[in-house]
Amino acid sequence: MNFLDIAFVVDDDPIHQFGMKVLLKKVKFSNEVMVFHNGQEAMDALMQLLDKGEKLPSIIFLDLNMPIKDGWGFLDDFVMIPHQNRKKVVIYVVSSSINPSDKEKAKNYEVVSSYIVKPIDEKQLTQVLDDMGLLNSR
Amino acid sequence: MTTEKSILRNTSIPFAILDREKSFVDFSKQWLTMFGLDSSIKGQNFFDSMPELPEELRLDINYCLEGIKHRSDSKRIIQENGNAVWYDWKVSLLNDGQGVTPNALIILEDVTHKRREEDLLVRSQQVARIGGWEVDLIKNTIYWSNMTKEIHEVPQDYVPNLETGISFYREGYSRDTITQLVNEGIELGKKWDSELQIVTAKGNFIWVRAIGEPEMLNGKCVRIVGTFQDIDKRKKAQLQLLNSEESLKGTLENSSIGMALVARNGRFIDVNASLCNSLGYTKEKLLSLTFQDITHPDDLEIDLILLNELIKGKRSTYQIEKRYFNKDRQLVYVILTVTAARNIDGEISHFISQIVDISSRIKSEKKLKGLLELTTNQNNSLMNFAHIVSHNLRSHAANLTMISEFAKDESLDEEIRKDSLGMLGKASQGLNDTISHLNEVVQVKLETDQKLKSVQLYPLVNKVLADIQALIEENKVVIETDVPQKLEVRGVVAYLESIILNLVTNAIKYKDLNKKPTIISIKAEERYETVVLTVADNGLGIDLEKFGEKLFGMYKTFHGNEDARGIGLFITKNQIESMGGKITVDSQPLAGTTFEVTLLKNQQS
Repeated sequence: MNFLDIAFVVDDDPIHQFGMKVLLKKVKFSNEVMVFHNGQEAMDALMQLLDKGEKLPSIIFLDLNMPIKDGWGFLDDFVMIPHQNRKKVVIYVVSSSINPSDKEKAKNYEVVSSYIVKPIDEKQLTQVLDDMGLLNSR
Repeated sequence: MTTEKSILRNTSIPFAILDREKSFVDFSKQWLTMFGLDSSIKGQNFFDSMPELPEELRLDINYCLEGIKHRSDSKRIIQENGNAVWYDWKVSLLNDGQGVTPNALIILEDVTHKRREEDLLVRSQQVARIGGWEVDLIKNTIYWSNMTKEIHEVPQDYVPNLETGISFYREGYSRDTITQLVNEGIELGKKWDSELQIVTAKGNFIWVRAIGEPEMLNGKCVRIVGTFQDIDKRKKAQLQLLNSEESLKGTLENSSIGMALVARNGRFIDVNASLCNSLGYTKEKLLSLTFQDITHPDDLEIDLILLNELIKGKRSTYQIEKRYFNKDRQLVYVILTVTAARNIDGEISHFISQIVDISSRIKSEKKLKGLLELTTNQNNSLMNFAHIVSHNLRSHAANLTMISEFAKDESLDEEIRKDSLGMLGKASQGLNDTISHLNEVVQVKLETDQKLKSVQLYPLVNKVLADIQALIEENKVVIETDVPQKLEVRGVVAYLESIILNLVTNAIKYKDLNKKPTIISIKAEERYETVVLTVADNGLGIDLEKFGEKLFGMYKTFHGNEDARGIGLFITKNQIESMGGKITVDSQPLAGTTFEVTLLKNQQS
């Protein structure tokens, strides 16, 4: 049995997409992993789910540097969604940027739970589950 | 006696005859008129009829009636109503010498008016310090009035002669002039009116106005009369004014600040050397121009508005920074201060302009600004570079770390571990690409110092288009070019080719499939000291509000296009800047994109 239902991975890098899928599966993170190449694709998918009244993802792993709509653009759109619709959604930024100004900027978004610097590994994903209070309940 | 009396009665002399008792025996009509009396006074007592007379007159009448033949005097009396009245009188004893009772003849005149005139004349001569003099050439005497003596600062009993008169004039110009004037006056009867300097008896130097009028008799000068006025104060003030005007003129002429007197219509009335120098015009040429003629059109309006406020009295002065054109139509930057000069009636007669040439300051400011811009650009490039290193290299490194972990992880499916090996290859290829891109960027930076050569744009553009002929045909792109054949820029051939190639292939890559045909226009034109190369398309366009800042950054793509490397514009920008140029973009989503590349123009020597 997996911990969560749906996880979004938003990243334009196919290698990272592959890696995330492998790792998420390994730690039994979620029943479903949906991958998007940029912020716009992810946003479109969220809006579709909202329209249909379907369940939103429990967690979104968000890259910052992406074409068309980057991570910041996605966050700006995301906070426009009415709060009660998105309150159970947790966002983790996963970026290769170690630029302090990026970390600082991410802190300004209340919806961002944490900032993970690539490469991401098994331990970090387990920590995420722990942070969400899911490990002890098992 | 009676007959005699009646004859005298009609004369214009105011007289009266009194008997021993001082009663009126007779009087003239003039007497009655002068004192406002009528003939009923006959037989009346003189002093009862005319109470307000000087006491001295009463005494003189008494003296005469007692046997003194003549008395005369002149006295002033303040009447009861406060008026001051001057009287002149003559009293004579009328006596037939035969023991008849003596009578007194009184001639009494109210001379108040005459006296006042005389008094005024004396006073005005004193105030104006005008003295008189006269030379009698027959008797060989010279007369000086009291004021003349006062001006010479000699005692009132001083006796002048012709020689000493002239010797008071200051040696040199003044004495030479008066000597000549007197000689010409005596010989030719010429009048003179001259302002000269004397040295007084007390050694003071004083300016005087000397006027002389010779009187001729049978062609010979018999007398010269003249006036002598102390004009020292006025003359000195005048000389001082002249002096300060001269020194002002000297200041104006020699000032390092440009100065001009400007008429109300803007014409230059006077300009100094410094202004001529700044503007490159001769004084004569500048005086034939107006300030409007040489003012930069963009600066004229504000200047005229302020000038108008000056004319209307809303302000007394104004200062602006403005631009003139010099003789060679080059810009001259100045700080202009204008003040209104008014005439005696308070109307503006002209303007006084002070013009400080700040061209060299502006030039160095611009240079500084250019340097600052360059530094900022280089700083931005450096930041970009740091970003590439920190982000792009890191992302590949992170991928390699992650994937190699998979390869080691035996708990993973064989399938996944096999895929991981493929990914490992991709990740190391990505790292390799990034390093070669970095090398391209570093290359541009290293070659920045490379010498720029003159390059003709026309053959260059044609060569690039020939190279990508196949790509153009395959995409059915219409290329319009408008590049003057002789146009030359300063640059590096390889960079210029790469820039044009990149901009054109970009335009093809991001064409709008809904628009047929795709049109790309390549234009070049001179603009001041530069050549502007424009590449415009009718493609997809870019939302500049969202992406404008990032457009020329490294690894930025905006369309999700598969070919997008996100490196092209970054290198293009670096290459352009290394040749001292700049690139700007104008774009509307779905309307198209226009890149403007500004390059240095090759200066033909």
